[in-house]
Amino acid sequence: MSTISDELKQEEAEKVENIDYKMVTFSLAGKDYGIDIMKVKEISKAKRFTYVPNADPYVRGVYNLRGDIISIIDLRIMFNLPAPKREEASFEDMIILRLDDYLIGVIVDSIDKVVGINSESIQPPHPIFGDINIKFIKGVVENEGRLYLILDVEKILGDTRHDEDTSAQPQLVTQPAREPEAEQDQAEKTGETDYAFVVETLQTFRDFHVTEYNRNWVRSRFEEWRQQRTNEGAEVQLQEAEDADRFLQSFYSPYSGGFWGNDYCSSVKEILKQLQVQGNVMVWNPGCGAGYETYSLTIILKESFPNSQLKVWAHDNDLLNISTAPNLIFSSADLSEELEEYTVEGKNGLQFNKEIRDAIFFEFHNVLHSNPFPEVDLIVARDILSFQKQDEQDGLVQEFSEKLKPGGILILGRHEEILSDMFEDISNGMVHAYRKR
Amino acid sequence: MRVEYINPFVEAAFNVLREVLSEEVKRGELFLKSTSQPVLGVAVIVGLTGDVEGRVLFDMKKSVALAIASQMNGEELQAMDDLAKATISELANMITGQAVTKLHELGFKFDLTPPAIITGDNMEVSNSGVEALIVPVELQAGKIEINVAVRERA
Repeated sequence: MSTISDELKQEEAEKVENIDYKMVTFSLAGKDYGIDIMKVKEISKAKRFTYVPNADPYVRGVYNLRGDIISIIDLRIMFNLPAPKREEASFEDMIILRLDDYLIGVIVDSIDKVVGINSESIQPPHPIFGDINIKFIKGVVENEGRLYLILDVEKILGDTRHDEDTSAQPQLVTQPAREPEAEQDQAEKTGETDYAFVVETLQTFRDFHVTEYNRNWVRSRFEEWRQQRTNEGAEVQLQEAEDADRFLQSFYSPYSGGFWGNDYCSSVKEILKQLQVQGNVMVWNPGCGAGYETYSLTIILKESFPNSQLKVWAHDNDLLNISTAPNLIFSSADLSEELEEYTVEGKNGLQFNKEIRDAIFFEFHNVLHSNPFPEVDLIVARDILSFQKQDEQDGLVQEFSEKLKPGGILILGRHEEILSDMFEDISNGMVHAYRKR
Repeated sequence: MRVEYINPFVEAAFNVLREVLSEEVKRGELFLKSTSQPVLGVAVIVGLTGDVEGRVLFDMKKSVALAIASQMNGEELQAMDDLAKATISELANMITGQAVTKLHELGFKFDLTPPAIITGDNMEVSNSGVEALIVPVELQAGKIEINVAVRERA
Protein backbone atom coordinates (compact mmCIF):
# COMPACT_ATOMS: atom_id res chain seq x y z
CA MET A 1 0.00 0.00 0.00
CA SER A 2 2.65 2.40 1.07
CA THR A 3 4.80 1.56 -1.95
CA ILE A 4 2.03 2.58 -4.32
CA SER A 5 1.46 5.92 -2.68
CA ASP A 6 5.22 6.44 -2.62
CA GLU A 7 5.37 5.76 -6.30
CA LEU A 8 2.56 8.21 -6.90
CA LYS A 9 4.29 10.84 -4.87
CA GLN A 10 7.49 10.24 -6.77
CA GLU A 11 5.68 10.54 -10.06
CA GLU A 12 4.08 13.74 -8.89
CA ALA A 13 7.45 15.09 -7.87
CA GLU A 14 8.96 14.13 -11.19
CA LYS A 15 6.27 15.98 -12.99
CA VAL A 16 6.84 19.08 -10.94
CA GLU A 17 10.57 18.83 -11.46
CA ASN A 18 10.12 18.52 -15.17
CA ILE A 19 8.51 21.89 -15.59
CA ASP A 20 10.46 23.27 -18.50
CA TYR A 21 7.87 25.37 -20.27
CA LYS A 22 6.07 28.33 -18.84
CA MET A 23 3.30 30.17 -20.50
CA VAL A 24 1.25 33.23 -19.84
CA THR A 25 -2.38 32.26 -19.95
CA PHE A 26 -5.30 34.43 -20.90
CA SER A 27 -8.82 34.10 -22.14
CA LEU A 28 -10.45 35.00 -25.42
CA ALA A 29 -14.20 34.60 -25.76
CA GLY A 30 -14.29 32.34 -22.68
CA LYS A 31 -11.61 29.94 -23.82
CA ASP A 32 -8.14 29.55 -22.34
CA TYR A 33 -5.03 30.27 -24.34
CA GLY A 34 -1.33 30.35 -23.58
CA ILE A 35 1.72 32.06 -25.03
CA ASP A 36 5.30 30.94 -24.42
CA ILE A 37 6.65 33.14 -21.66
CA MET A 38 9.94 33.52 -23.46
CA LYS A 39 8.12 35.56 -26.07
CA VAL A 40 6.41 37.77 -23.52
CA LYS A 41 8.21 40.91 -22.46
CA GLU A 42 5.61 42.04 -20.00
CA ILE A 43 1.93 42.32 -19.35
CA SER A 44 0.16 45.56 -18.74
CA LYS A 45 -3.09 47.42 -18.95
CA ALA A 46 -3.60 50.22 -21.37
CA LYS A 47 -6.21 52.37 -23.00
CA ARG A 48 -6.59 55.08 -25.60
CA PHE A 49 -4.55 53.74 -28.45
CA THR A 50 -3.68 56.08 -31.26
CA TYR A 51 -5.67 55.03 -34.28
CA VAL A 52 -3.71 54.40 -37.48
CA PRO A 53 -5.69 55.15 -40.62
CA ASN A 54 -5.89 52.53 -43.35
CA ALA A 55 -4.38 49.76 -41.23
CA ASP A 56 -5.83 46.26 -41.18
CA PRO A 57 -8.96 46.07 -39.03
CA TYR A 58 -7.29 44.03 -36.29
CA VAL A 59 -4.66 46.72 -35.77
CA ARG A 60 -6.01 48.82 -32.93
CA GLY A 61 -3.39 51.49 -33.29
CA VAL A 62 -0.07 52.41 -31.76
CA TYR A 63 0.81 52.91 -28.11
CA ASN A 64 3.58 54.68 -26.30
CA LEU A 65 5.17 52.18 -23.95
CA ARG A 66 7.51 54.30 -21.87
CA GLY A 67 8.97 55.93 -24.93
CA ASP A 68 8.83 52.95 -27.30
CA ILE A 69 6.10 53.20 -29.90
CA ILE A 70 4.57 49.77 -30.37
CA SER A 71 1.75 48.48 -32.57
CA ILE A 72 -1.31 47.09 -30.86
CA ILE A 73 -3.18 44.14 -32.30
CA ASP A 74 -6.56 42.92 -31.13
CA LEU A 75 -6.49 39.11 -31.20
CA ARG A 76 -10.28 38.90 -30.96
CA ILE A 77 -10.73 40.83 -34.18
CA MET A 78 -7.93 38.93 -35.82
CA PHE A 79 -9.55 35.60 -34.97
CA ASN A 80 -13.11 36.78 -35.52
CA LEU A 81 -14.07 36.19 -31.90
CA PRO A 82 -16.71 38.22 -30.12
CA ALA A 83 -15.28 40.85 -27.79
CA PRO A 84 -17.12 41.78 -24.60
CA LYS A 85 -18.49 45.30 -24.54
CA ARG A 86 -16.57 47.63 -22.32
CA GLU A 87 -16.58 51.25 -21.40
CA GLU A 88 -15.01 53.58 -23.91
CA ALA A 89 -11.99 54.60 -21.86
CA SER A 90 -11.54 51.58 -19.61
CA PHE A 91 -8.25 49.73 -19.37
CA GLU A 92 -7.73 46.65 -21.45
CA ASP A 93 -5.43 43.71 -20.74
CA MET A 94 -2.44 43.67 -22.96
CA ILE A 95 0.47 41.29 -23.47
CA ILE A 96 3.62 42.85 -24.84
CA LEU A 97 5.46 40.36 -27.02
CA ARG A 98 9.04 40.45 -28.10
CA LEU A 99 9.37 39.07 -31.63
CA ASP A 100 12.73 38.95 -33.35
CA ASP A 101 13.55 42.61 -33.39
CA TYR A 102 10.36 44.40 -32.51
CA LEU A 103 7.75 44.68 -29.81
CA ILE A 104 4.09 44.24 -30.39
CA GLY A 105 1.11 44.57 -28.07
CA VAL A 106 -1.70 42.04 -28.13
CA ILE A 107 -5.07 42.78 -26.57
CA VAL A 108 -6.95 39.92 -24.94
CA ASP A 109 -10.11 39.61 -22.84
CA SER A 110 -8.27 39.02 -19.58
CA ILE A 111 -4.87 37.81 -18.52
CA ASP A 112 -4.98 34.87 -16.10
CA LYS A 113 -1.66 33.74 -14.69
CA VAL A 114 1.62 32.03 -15.49
CA VAL A 115 1.38 28.26 -15.75
CA GLY A 116 4.35 25.95 -15.70
CA ILE A 117 4.12 22.68 -17.57
CA ASN A 118 6.24 19.91 -18.93
CA SER A 119 6.78 20.52 -22.61
CA GLU A 120 6.37 16.79 -23.26
CA SER A 121 2.76 17.05 -22.17
CA ILE A 122 1.94 19.44 -25.00
CA GLN A 123 -0.14 17.65 -27.58
CA PRO A 124 -0.46 18.58 -31.23
CA PRO A 125 -3.57 20.57 -32.09
CA HIS A 126 -6.63 18.78 -33.30
CA PRO A 127 -8.48 20.19 -36.31
CA ILE A 128 -11.61 20.39 -34.21
CA PHE A 129 -10.52 23.66 -32.62
CA GLY A 130 -12.19 25.64 -35.28
CA ASP A 131 -12.22 29.18 -33.96
CA ILE A 132 -8.62 29.82 -34.76
CA ASN A 133 -6.81 28.73 -37.85
CA ILE A 134 -5.00 25.57 -36.89
CA LYS A 135 -1.61 26.66 -38.15
CA PHE A 136 -1.55 29.31 -35.44
CA ILE A 137 -1.82 26.71 -32.68
CA LYS A 138 1.37 25.18 -31.42
CA GLY A 139 -0.37 22.62 -29.27
CA VAL A 140 -2.83 21.85 -26.52
CA VAL A 141 -1.99 21.24 -22.90
CA GLU A 142 -3.97 20.26 -19.85
CA ASN A 143 -3.28 21.81 -16.47
CA GLU A 144 -5.33 21.57 -13.33
CA GLY A 145 -8.39 20.51 -15.20
CA ARG A 146 -8.23 23.24 -17.79
CA LEU A 147 -7.25 22.94 -21.42
CA TYR A 148 -5.00 25.62 -22.84
CA LEU A 149 -4.39 26.29 -26.50
CA ILE A 150 -0.83 27.40 -26.96
CA LEU A 151 -0.60 30.03 -29.67
CA ASP A 152 2.35 30.21 -32.01
CA VAL A 153 2.83 33.97 -31.96
CA GLU A 154 5.68 33.83 -34.42
CA LYS A 155 3.32 32.35 -36.99
CA ILE A 156 0.45 34.67 -36.22
CA LEU A 157 2.26 37.95 -36.17
CA GLY A 158 5.24 36.94 -38.28
CA ASP A 159 2.86 35.82 -41.04
CA THR A 160 1.12 39.12 -41.46
CA ARG A 161 4.41 40.81 -41.87
CA HIS A 162 5.41 38.30 -44.48
CA ASP A 163 2.18 38.81 -46.39
CA GLU A 164 2.67 42.50 -46.54
CA ASP A 165 6.18 42.04 -47.81
CA THR A 166 5.32 39.79 -50.71
CA SER A 167 2.23 41.59 -51.89
CA ALA A 168 2.25 45.13 -53.07
CA GLN A 169 -1.54 45.15 -52.89
CA PRO A 170 -2.55 44.69 -49.28
CA GLN A 171 -6.23 44.86 -50.10
CA LEU A 172 -5.96 41.70 -52.06
CA VAL A 173 -4.29 39.68 -49.35
CA THR A 174 -7.53 38.91 -47.63
CA GLN A 175 -9.68 38.17 -50.63
CA PRO A 176 -8.22 35.50 -52.88
CA ALA A 177 -6.06 32.63 -51.54
CA ARG A 178 -9.02 30.28 -51.48
CA GLU A 179 -9.50 30.34 -55.22
CA PRO A 180 -7.94 27.52 -57.21
CA GLU A 181 -8.26 24.92 -54.45
CA ALA A 182 -11.70 26.10 -53.51
CA GLU A 183 -12.74 25.63 -57.10
CA GLN A 184 -11.75 21.98 -56.99
CA ASP A 185 -12.99 21.35 -53.48
CA GLN A 186 -16.39 22.64 -54.28
CA ALA A 187 -16.61 20.57 -57.38
CA GLU A 188 -15.45 17.37 -55.77
CA LYS A 189 -17.68 17.70 -52.78
CA THR A 190 -20.74 17.77 -54.93
CA GLY A 191 -19.39 14.96 -57.05
CA GLU A 192 -18.99 17.20 -60.05
CA THR A 193 -15.75 15.89 -61.41
CA ASP A 194 -17.01 16.82 -64.85
CA TYR A 195 -17.24 20.43 -63.80
CA ALA A 196 -13.74 20.37 -62.38
CA PHE A 197 -12.51 18.83 -65.58
CA VAL A 198 -14.22 21.47 -67.70
CA VAL A 199 -12.67 24.19 -65.56
CA GLU A 200 -9.29 22.57 -66.03
CA THR A 201 -9.59 22.11 -69.80
CA LEU A 202 -10.90 25.63 -70.42
CA GLN A 203 -7.64 26.77 -68.94
CA THR A 204 -5.55 24.36 -70.99
CA PHE A 205 -7.21 24.92 -74.35
CA ARG A 206 -8.16 28.55 -74.26
CA ASP A 207 -6.39 30.07 -71.28
CA PHE A 208 -9.76 30.76 -69.73
CA HIS A 209 -9.43 30.88 -65.95
CA VAL A 210 -12.52 30.28 -63.85
CA THR A 211 -12.58 32.66 -60.88
CA GLU A 212 -14.99 34.71 -58.86
CA TYR A 213 -15.23 37.13 -61.78
CA ASN A 214 -16.91 34.63 -64.08
CA ARG A 215 -17.85 31.63 -61.94
CA ASN A 216 -21.57 32.33 -62.00
CA TRP A 217 -21.62 32.21 -65.74
CA VAL A 218 -19.45 29.09 -65.97
CA ARG A 219 -21.72 27.32 -63.47
CA SER A 220 -24.91 28.00 -65.36
CA ARG A 221 -23.25 27.46 -68.71
CA PHE A 222 -22.01 24.09 -67.47
CA GLU A 223 -25.53 22.95 -66.62
CA GLU A 224 -26.74 24.04 -70.03
CA TRP A 225 -23.75 22.39 -71.70
CA ARG A 226 -24.29 19.12 -69.88
CA GLN A 227 -27.93 19.00 -70.99
CA GLN A 228 -27.02 19.79 -74.53
CA ARG A 229 -24.16 17.30 -74.73
CA THR A 230 -26.17 14.55 -73.09
CA ASN A 231 -28.97 15.09 -75.60
CA GLU A 232 -26.46 14.93 -78.43
CA GLY A 233 -24.94 11.82 -76.93
CA ALA A 234 -21.56 13.52 -76.76
CA GLU A 235 -19.00 13.68 -73.96
CA VAL A 236 -19.64 16.37 -71.36
CA GLN A 237 -15.93 16.87 -70.95
CA LEU A 238 -14.05 19.08 -73.38
CA GLN A 239 -11.90 16.85 -75.57
CA GLU A 240 -10.25 19.41 -77.79
CA ALA A 241 -9.84 23.13 -78.35
CA GLU A 242 -12.94 23.25 -80.56
CA ASP A 243 -15.04 21.98 -77.66
CA ALA A 244 -13.69 24.77 -75.48
CA ASP A 245 -14.60 27.26 -78.18
CA ARG A 246 -18.12 25.87 -78.36
CA PHE A 247 -18.43 26.02 -74.59
CA LEU A 248 -17.29 29.64 -74.56
CA GLN A 249 -19.41 30.63 -77.55
CA SER A 250 -22.03 32.33 -75.43
CA PHE A 251 -19.47 33.85 -73.08
CA TYR A 252 -18.28 36.61 -75.35
CA SER A 253 -19.89 40.01 -75.08
CA PRO A 254 -22.29 41.22 -77.77
CA TYR A 255 -20.61 42.42 -80.96
CA SER A 256 -17.20 40.98 -80.07
CA GLY A 257 -14.84 41.49 -82.98
CA GLY A 258 -17.22 43.77 -84.85
CA PHE A 259 -18.79 47.20 -84.67
CA TRP A 260 -21.41 47.65 -81.97
CA GLY A 261 -25.03 47.55 -83.01
CA ASN A 262 -27.54 50.28 -82.19
CA ASP A 263 -29.01 48.39 -79.22
CA TYR A 264 -25.66 47.96 -77.52
CA CYS A 265 -24.64 51.52 -78.32
CA SER A 266 -27.73 52.93 -76.68
CA SER A 267 -27.23 50.78 -73.55
CA VAL A 268 -23.69 52.09 -73.23
CA LYS A 269 -24.90 55.65 -73.78
CA GLU A 270 -27.42 55.15 -71.01
CA ILE A 271 -24.62 54.18 -68.65
CA LEU A 272 -22.39 57.03 -69.74
CA LYS A 273 -25.08 59.45 -68.59
CA GLN A 274 -23.98 58.62 -65.07
CA LEU A 275 -20.44 59.74 -65.76
CA GLN A 276 -19.45 63.16 -64.51
CA VAL A 277 -16.61 64.63 -66.52
CA GLN A 278 -14.67 67.81 -66.34
CA GLY A 279 -12.83 68.91 -69.46
CA ASN A 280 -11.03 65.95 -71.02
CA VAL A 281 -12.51 62.50 -71.14
CA MET A 282 -9.82 59.89 -70.66
CA VAL A 283 -10.63 56.32 -71.57
CA TRP A 284 -8.75 53.05 -71.33
CA ASN A 285 -9.71 50.17 -73.57
CA PRO A 286 -7.49 47.16 -72.86
CA GLY A 287 -7.97 44.15 -75.11
CA CYS A 288 -9.19 46.25 -78.02
CA GLY A 289 -8.34 43.63 -80.64
CA ALA A 290 -8.54 44.98 -84.18
CA GLY A 291 -10.17 48.17 -82.94
CA TYR A 292 -13.84 47.69 -83.88
CA GLU A 293 -14.89 48.07 -80.27
CA THR A 294 -12.66 51.10 -79.75
CA TYR A 295 -14.07 52.97 -82.73
CA SER A 296 -17.66 52.22 -81.71
CA LEU A 297 -16.91 53.37 -78.20
CA THR A 298 -15.13 56.53 -79.32
CA ILE A 299 -18.08 57.58 -81.46
CA ILE A 300 -20.51 57.00 -78.59
CA LEU A 301 -18.28 59.09 -76.34
CA LYS A 302 -18.08 61.79 -78.97
CA GLU A 303 -21.87 61.97 -79.02
CA SER A 304 -22.25 61.76 -75.25
CA PHE A 305 -19.64 64.43 -74.49
CA PRO A 306 -19.61 66.68 -77.55
CA ASN A 307 -17.75 69.48 -75.80
CA SER A 308 -14.96 67.44 -74.31
CA GLN A 309 -11.55 66.53 -75.60
CA LEU A 310 -11.40 62.75 -76.00
CA LYS A 311 -8.39 60.55 -75.40
CA VAL A 312 -8.72 56.78 -75.74
CA TRP A 313 -5.84 54.44 -74.93
CA ALA A 314 -6.52 51.18 -76.74
CA HIS A 315 -4.24 48.27 -75.92
CA ASP A 316 -3.78 44.76 -77.15
CA ASN A 317 -0.92 42.35 -76.98
CA ASP A 318 -1.80 40.64 -80.25
CA LEU A 319 0.45 42.46 -82.69
CA LEU A 320 -1.20 41.16 -85.86
CA ASN A 321 -4.64 42.24 -84.72
CA ILE A 322 -3.78 45.66 -83.45
CA SER A 323 -1.45 46.65 -86.27
CA THR A 324 -4.43 47.01 -88.60
CA ALA A 325 -6.41 49.02 -86.05
CA PRO A 326 -5.08 52.57 -86.61
CA ASN A 327 -5.99 52.46 -90.29
CA LEU A 328 -8.92 50.10 -90.09
CA ILE A 329 -10.62 49.67 -93.44
CA PHE A 330 -14.14 48.28 -93.73
CA SER A 331 -17.21 48.37 -95.89
CA SER A 332 -20.41 50.22 -95.08
CA ALA A 333 -22.23 46.90 -94.66
CA ASP A 334 -20.17 46.24 -91.52
CA LEU A 335 -21.51 49.02 -89.40
CA SER A 336 -24.76 50.55 -88.34
CA GLU A 337 -26.04 53.81 -89.80
CA GLU A 338 -25.39 55.61 -86.60
CA LEU A 339 -21.65 55.08 -86.91
CA GLU A 340 -21.58 55.74 -90.62
CA GLU A 341 -21.63 59.52 -90.46
CA TYR A 342 -18.13 59.48 -88.96
CA THR A 343 -16.55 57.72 -91.90
CA VAL A 344 -14.72 58.94 -94.97
CA GLU A 345 -14.07 57.20 -98.26
CA GLY A 346 -10.39 56.30 -98.47
CA LYS A 347 -8.25 54.84 -101.21
CA ASN A 348 -8.87 51.25 -100.18
CA GLY A 349 -12.30 51.52 -98.64
CA LEU A 350 -14.21 53.19 -95.85
CA GLN A 351 -12.27 54.65 -92.91
CA PHE A 352 -13.16 56.69 -89.86
CA ASN A 353 -12.53 60.40 -90.07
CA LYS A 354 -9.46 62.08 -88.70
CA GLU A 355 -11.20 63.48 -85.65
CA ILE A 356 -12.15 60.01 -84.45
CA ARG A 357 -8.82 58.46 -85.32
CA ASP A 358 -6.85 61.22 -83.65
CA ALA A 359 -8.69 60.60 -80.40
CA ILE A 360 -7.39 57.03 -80.17
CA PHE A 361 -3.91 55.78 -79.27
CA PHE A 362 -3.59 52.21 -80.40
CA GLU A 363 -0.74 50.63 -78.53
CA PHE A 364 0.92 47.24 -78.71
CA HIS A 365 0.97 46.68 -75.01
CA ASN A 366 0.54 44.01 -72.39
CA VAL A 367 -1.83 45.28 -69.70
CA LEU A 368 -0.08 43.17 -67.09
CA HIS A 369 2.99 45.36 -67.50
CA SER A 370 2.95 48.82 -66.04
CA ASN A 371 0.39 51.13 -67.61
CA PRO A 372 2.05 54.52 -67.98
CA PHE A 373 -0.83 56.90 -68.54
CA PRO A 374 -2.85 59.19 -66.29
CA GLU A 375 -6.08 58.37 -64.44
CA VAL A 376 -9.08 57.72 -66.63
CA ASP A 377 -12.82 58.34 -66.46
CA LEU A 378 -13.86 55.16 -68.18
CA ILE A 379 -12.40 51.69 -68.62
CA VAL A 380 -13.86 49.30 -71.15
CA ALA A 381 -12.36 45.86 -70.59
CA ARG A 382 -14.67 43.34 -72.15
CA ASP A 383 -13.79 39.65 -71.85
CA ILE A 384 -10.17 40.29 -71.02
CA LEU A 385 -10.16 39.47 -67.31
CA SER A 386 -11.13 35.83 -67.77
CA PHE A 387 -8.17 35.13 -69.99
CA GLN A 388 -5.59 36.06 -67.36
CA LYS A 389 -4.34 33.86 -64.56
CA GLN A 390 -6.05 34.00 -61.18
CA ASP A 391 -3.55 36.31 -59.48
CA GLU A 392 -3.25 38.43 -62.61
CA GLN A 393 -7.03 38.88 -62.63
CA ASP A 394 -6.92 40.14 -59.06
CA GLY A 395 -4.02 42.41 -59.93
CA LEU A 396 -5.84 43.72 -62.97
CA VAL A 397 -9.00 44.54 -61.02
CA GLN A 398 -6.79 46.34 -58.52
CA GLU A 399 -5.14 48.19 -61.39
CA PHE A 400 -8.54 49.14 -62.82
CA SER A 401 -9.54 50.53 -59.47
CA GLU A 402 -6.31 52.49 -59.15
CA LYS A 403 -6.47 53.87 -62.68
CA LEU A 404 -10.09 55.03 -62.41
CA LYS A 405 -10.92 58.47 -61.11
CA PRO A 406 -13.39 58.49 -58.23
CA GLY A 407 -16.84 57.95 -59.70
CA GLY A 408 -15.27 56.53 -62.85
CA ILE A 409 -16.97 53.70 -64.68
CA LEU A 410 -15.68 50.26 -65.56
CA ILE A 411 -17.42 48.24 -68.27
CA LEU A 412 -16.72 44.52 -68.19
CA GLY A 413 -17.70 41.66 -70.46
CA ARG A 414 -21.29 40.50 -70.51
CA HIS A 415 -20.62 37.53 -68.27
CA GLU A 416 -17.97 38.98 -66.03
CA GLU A 417 -18.70 40.52 -62.66
CA ILE A 418 -16.89 42.08 -59.74
CA LEU A 419 -18.23 41.25 -56.32
CA SER A 420 -15.88 43.56 -54.47
CA ASP A 421 -17.29 46.53 -52.62
CA MET A 422 -14.73 48.73 -54.34
CA PHE A 423 -17.29 49.00 -57.12
CA GLU A 424 -21.00 49.66 -57.33
CA ASP A 425 -22.96 47.65 -59.88
CA ILE A 426 -24.70 49.91 -62.41
CA SER A 427 -25.28 47.33 -65.14
CA ASN A 428 -27.85 48.00 -67.77
CA GLY A 429 -29.20 45.17 -69.91
CA MET A 430 -26.39 43.68 -71.95
CA VAL A 431 -23.79 46.04 -70.53
CA HIS A 432 -22.08 45.05 -67.31
CA ALA A 433 -20.85 48.25 -65.71
CA TYR A 434 -19.48 49.30 -62.35
CA ARG A 435 -18.87 52.64 -60.74
CA LYS A 436 -15.85 53.13 -58.54
CA ARG A 437 -16.92 54.10 -55.06
CA MET B 1 3.87 51.44 -77.46
CA ARG B 2 1.83 52.97 -80.25
CA VAL B 3 1.29 50.67 -83.16
CA GLU B 4 2.32 53.38 -85.59
CA TYR B 5 5.82 53.47 -84.12
CA ILE B 6 6.58 49.80 -84.56
CA ASN B 7 6.95 49.51 -88.31
CA PRO B 8 9.33 52.45 -88.82
CA PHE B 9 11.80 50.91 -86.39
CA VAL B 10 11.56 47.45 -87.87
CA GLU B 11 11.82 48.72 -91.45
CA ALA B 12 14.71 51.06 -90.70
CA ALA B 13 16.65 48.28 -89.01
CA PHE B 14 16.21 46.01 -92.00
CA ASN B 15 16.99 48.58 -94.64
CA VAL B 16 20.13 49.78 -92.93
CA LEU B 17 21.46 46.36 -91.98
CA ARG B 18 20.79 44.97 -95.43
CA GLU B 19 22.57 47.91 -96.99
CA VAL B 20 25.70 48.01 -94.83
CA LEU B 21 26.20 44.27 -94.56
CA SER B 22 24.94 43.42 -98.05
CA GLU B 23 23.33 40.22 -96.84
CA GLU B 24 19.79 38.98 -96.25
CA VAL B 25 18.50 39.75 -92.76
CA LYS B 26 15.83 37.68 -91.05
CA ARG B 27 13.37 38.97 -88.51
CA GLY B 28 12.44 37.10 -85.38
CA GLU B 29 9.09 37.28 -83.60
CA LEU B 30 8.40 40.68 -82.03
CA PHE B 31 7.47 40.62 -78.38
CA LEU B 32 6.99 42.82 -75.31
CA LYS B 33 9.00 42.70 -72.16
CA SER B 34 8.81 44.65 -68.95
CA THR B 35 11.22 42.88 -66.67
CA SER B 36 14.95 43.36 -66.69
CA GLN B 37 16.89 41.28 -69.12
CA PRO B 38 20.53 40.49 -69.70
CA VAL B 39 22.59 42.53 -72.12
CA LEU B 40 24.56 40.32 -74.48
CA GLY B 41 27.88 42.19 -74.23
CA VAL B 42 27.77 45.26 -76.45
CA ALA B 43 24.91 47.73 -76.11
CA VAL B 44 24.32 51.00 -77.90
CA ILE B 45 21.74 53.37 -76.48
CA VAL B 46 20.05 56.14 -78.42
CA GLY B 47 17.67 58.35 -76.47
CA LEU B 48 14.40 59.60 -77.92
CA THR B 49 12.51 62.75 -77.02
CA GLY B 50 9.80 64.86 -78.59
CA ASP B 51 6.24 63.52 -78.71
CA VAL B 52 7.52 60.61 -76.69
CA GLU B 53 10.20 59.84 -74.17
CA GLY B 54 12.27 56.71 -74.23
CA ARG B 55 15.23 55.03 -75.80
CA VAL B 56 16.34 52.47 -78.32
CA LEU B 57 18.89 49.91 -77.28
CA PHE B 58 20.83 47.77 -79.73
CA ASP B 59 22.11 44.70 -78.03
CA MET B 60 24.52 42.11 -79.43
CA LYS B 61 27.35 39.78 -78.55
CA LYS B 62 30.89 41.07 -78.84
CA SER B 63 31.66 38.64 -81.66
CA VAL B 64 28.65 39.91 -83.62
CA ALA B 65 29.65 43.51 -83.02
CA LEU B 66 33.18 42.78 -84.27
CA ALA B 67 31.89 40.97 -87.35
CA ILE B 68 29.61 43.86 -88.23
CA ALA B 69 32.28 46.48 -87.61
CA SER B 70 34.77 44.50 -89.74
CA GLN B 71 32.30 44.20 -92.58
CA MET B 72 31.43 47.90 -92.46
CA ASN B 73 35.07 48.99 -92.42
CA GLY B 74 36.20 46.50 -95.01
CA GLU B 75 38.99 45.19 -92.75
CA GLU B 76 39.30 42.51 -90.11
CA LEU B 77 39.01 44.05 -86.64
CA GLN B 78 40.33 41.97 -83.75
CA ALA B 79 39.18 43.87 -80.66
CA MET B 80 36.53 46.35 -79.60
CA ASP B 81 38.82 49.30 -80.17
CA ASP B 82 37.76 52.90 -80.78
CA LEU B 83 37.15 52.23 -84.45
CA ALA B 84 34.90 49.26 -83.76
CA LYS B 85 32.96 51.18 -81.12
CA ALA B 86 32.53 54.18 -83.36
CA THR B 87 31.32 51.94 -86.16
CA ILE B 88 28.69 50.20 -84.05
CA SER B 89 27.53 53.55 -82.62
CA GLU B 90 27.19 54.86 -86.13
CA LEU B 91 25.14 51.84 -87.15
CA ALA B 92 22.74 52.51 -84.26
CA ASN B 93 22.60 56.15 -85.24
CA MET B 94 21.77 55.30 -88.83
CA ILE B 95 18.96 52.93 -87.90
CA THR B 96 17.39 55.23 -85.33
CA GLY B 97 17.82 58.21 -87.63
CA GLN B 98 16.07 56.49 -90.49
CA ALA B 99 13.24 55.37 -88.17
CA VAL B 100 12.78 58.89 -86.87
CA THR B 101 12.68 60.21 -90.43
CA LYS B 102 9.95 57.71 -91.30
CA LEU B 103 8.04 58.68 -88.19
CA HIS B 104 8.34 62.31 -89.12
CA GLU B 105 6.72 61.58 -92.47
CA LEU B 106 3.82 60.05 -90.56
CA GLY B 107 3.44 63.21 -88.50
CA PHE B 108 5.22 62.26 -85.28
CA LYS B 109 7.96 64.50 -83.97
CA PHE B 110 10.91 62.65 -82.48
CA ASP B 111 14.37 63.89 -81.60
CA LEU B 112 17.29 61.69 -80.82
CA THR B 113 20.35 61.94 -78.64
CA PRO B 114 23.89 60.95 -79.67
CA PRO B 115 24.46 57.22 -79.23
CA ALA B 116 26.31 55.88 -76.21
CA ILE B 117 28.05 52.53 -76.38
CA ILE B 118 28.45 50.27 -73.37
CA THR B 119 30.48 47.09 -73.32
CA GLY B 120 31.08 44.53 -70.62
CA ASP B 121 29.97 41.20 -69.27
CA ASN B 122 27.03 40.31 -67.04
CA MET B 123 25.07 43.48 -67.62
CA GLU B 124 21.35 43.87 -67.29
CA VAL B 125 18.91 46.46 -68.51
CA SER B 126 15.64 47.13 -66.76
CA ASN B 127 12.78 49.21 -68.03
CA SER B 128 11.13 50.56 -64.97
CA GLY B 129 7.70 51.85 -65.77
CA VAL B 130 7.85 51.21 -69.50
CA GLU B 131 7.62 47.99 -71.38
CA ALA B 132 10.03 47.38 -74.19
CA LEU B 133 9.33 46.12 -77.69
CA ILE B 134 11.97 43.59 -78.68
CA VAL B 135 12.81 43.25 -82.37
CA PRO B 136 15.20 40.32 -82.84
CA VAL B 137 17.22 40.47 -86.06
CA GLU B 138 19.07 37.41 -87.37
CA LEU B 139 22.33 38.04 -89.20
CA GLN B 140 24.91 35.60 -90.53
CA ALA B 141 27.27 36.61 -87.74
CA GLY B 142 24.61 36.22 -85.05
CA LYS B 143 21.70 38.06 -83.50
CA ILE B 144 21.04 41.73 -82.76
CA GLU B 145 18.19 42.59 -80.42
CA ILE B 146 16.65 45.99 -80.89
CA ASN B 147 14.92 46.99 -77.71
CA VAL B 148 12.60 49.97 -78.07
CA ALA B 149 11.04 51.46 -74.95
CA VAL B 150 9.05 54.65 -75.48
CA ARG B 151 6.01 56.15 -73.89
CA GLU B 152 3.79 59.08 -74.70
CA ARG B 153 4.61 62.27 -72.96
CA ALA B 154 1.82 62.80 -70.48
